[in-house]
Amino acid sequence: MQGVLGAFRELDTTVAAIKDLKQKRLGEMTVYSPTIRHELDDAIDGPNSVVRRYTLIGGLLGVSFGYWIAIWSSEYWPLVTGGKAIASWIPYTIIGFEVMVLVGALSTVAGMFIHSRVPRLTTTTGYDVRFSSGHFGIFIACDAAKAPQAEALLREHGAVEVRRED
Amino acid sequence: MASVIHPVREGIRGPNIASADVQLPAVRDYEQVDREIIATLGFTKKWFFGLSLAVLAMLIGASAWLFQIYWGLGQAGYEPPVMWGNYIITFVFWVGIGHAGTLISAILYLFRAGFRTSIYRAAEAMTVFAVMTAGLFPIIHIGRPWKFFWLVPYPNWRLLFPNFKSPLVWDVFAISTYLTISTTFLFIGLIPDIAVLRDKETNPIRKRILSILSLGWRNSDREWRHFAKAYLFLAAFSTPLVLSVHSVVSFDFAMALTPGWHASIFPPYFVAGAIFSGFAMVWTITIPMRKWFKLEHYITLNHLDATAKVVLFTSMVVGCAYMIEFFIAWYSGVRAEQEFFWNRVFGQWWWAAWIMLLCNMALPMSLWSQKLRRNPTWLFVLSLFINLGMWFERFVIVVPSLSHEFEPWQWGSYTPSWIDMSFLIGSFGWFFMWFLLFVKQLPVMAIMELKEIVVPRNKHAHDGGHH
Repeated sequence: MQGVLGAFRELDTTVAAIKDLKQKRLGEMTVYSPTIRHELDDAIDGPNSVVRRYTLIGGLLGVSFGYWIAIWSSEYWPLVTGGKAIASWIPYTIIGFEVMVLVGALSTVAGMFIHSRVPRLTTTTGYDVRFSSGHFGIFIACDAAKAPQAEALLREHGAVEVRRED
Repeated sequence: MASVIHPVREGIRGPNIASADVQLPAVRDYEQVDREIIATLGFTKKWFFGLSLAVLAMLIGASAWLFQIYWGLGQAGYEPPVMWGNYIITFVFWVGIGHAGTLISAILYLFRAGFRTSIYRAAEAMTVFAVMTAGLFPIIHIGRPWKFFWLVPYPNWRLLFPNFKSPLVWDVFAISTYLTISTTFLFIGLIPDIAVLRDKETNPIRKRILSILSLGWRNSDREWRHFAKAYLFLAAFSTPLVLSVHSVVSFDFAMALTPGWHASIFPPYFVAGAIFSGFAMVWTITIPMRKWFKLEHYITLNHLDATAKVVLFTSMVVGCAYMIEFFIAWYSGVRAEQEFFWNRVFGQWWWAAWIMLLCNMALPMSLWSQKLRRNPTWLFVLSLFINLGMWFERFVIVVPSLSHEFEPWQWGSYTPSWIDMSFLIGSFGWFFMWFLLFVKQLPVMAIMELKEIVVPRNKHAHDGGHH
């Protein structure tokens, strides 16, 4: 992906650059940080994560399957005991709960992987190893015509390094 | 991962988790975190010595297992009526140990308890390895380990499923779900840290392996957004799971009509005991670790103080449960229950009960003293006593009950054989072997979360930011 990458040492200069870049609308922006920072979340103001939908759907499927397998197998081969229900929902709640947690949690992870676009084969374009350590980064996906303006803006906000990525 | 805390809209703030008792004043910037945590991965003579001891202990257990497979389950010390002994005691002990990791990761995360940050990775790893250890014991106990897959609920060729009303089937569901979710939780939290290792690595082979393990993680805003949400939901799922696992283990006992077992207090009693023993094991592994890895400025006395308060509280809950058991036995008017509880403290196994009461009720009361709560040496010694006491708690639950049921002609005894004791030693070896291998391959503290506590570098100073 073509664009301009800027590396920053400070958090506040990164935040200021993000706000400015959003106003200028030079291209799609990716922000890198060594850890989660609320200041960056606020400045980016991105959409809510859709991972919660995977959690809900996975959890509902899991609890349904847990109850179903216990009830179906009891009805298929009844163990008849006088005065006792053949399919007893109270102990089957344990099975329903455990399978809900299992499927719900694994669906959540699947949702995170799908929407974070991992596993990824390469980290090279628009990335710098400093971003996992102590630096913040901004990558602006833009064509050659807009690149000089993006470079100037990143430098103006104090980027310690600005480079073009192809 | 504290991004779930509603952000303040204006200005540059300090640490994401702004609680005074969890800040790390001696840690100045993100690079220092990387440098010091990665430095713990270097091999040392002490580590090799520890690993050798662990492997030796594991081999003792493995040899005993081979002996038992060849000569049969009769080599263990079981004889009617005590057909549950060391294997089930040690199984429950290790499941209990496995409680604290996910409790620290999930429940303390949801409660915004800042002291979890420095200790949760070690506790999570401890959980996974403890549940792996616990999982061995049902397999050992069945006598024919090659038939272990019969434990898994699946139908036979006539579509006859196992009985889903059986506590033993619930146990399989609970433990396997807990192991899967705890391992997932550990791995998800490790991904950003593995990316840090990948970016620092110079050896091409190791770099390639770390690249695969990090899944190409790049620390982008998109990744962090979904990561934070996924972590929150995993924590939300894990919280009731933590409480359910030992409740389900307690049903193995409470559903049986055996004196001393058939009690509705068992689920909360077991959960409190598991948290208690799990925190003790967290001390057993983190207190030497903070000293040998020179991490005193990450696991501070404030962290130890906070964990000591949890141990003190859970000790009181457990102690209260012990007393309630005696009260209910007296108040019920049931002769067999009254006899049993008298026998528990003054009968054949009196010494086991008094070790339990001393280690789990009396000694933890020392933690009312702030001076002792902030004394790592005392906390380490106390953790060993609590580990001992909690093993004996399970002994007191299992053996006296089975050996002293309703009819006097049923009464019997139990003497652990050398096979039983070898398995106990082997389980510690197995657990510590995995843990020691883990601490030299992957960061034993969550680099990414530690950076959340550290004040980031700012050009214009706000709230104490570096500039």
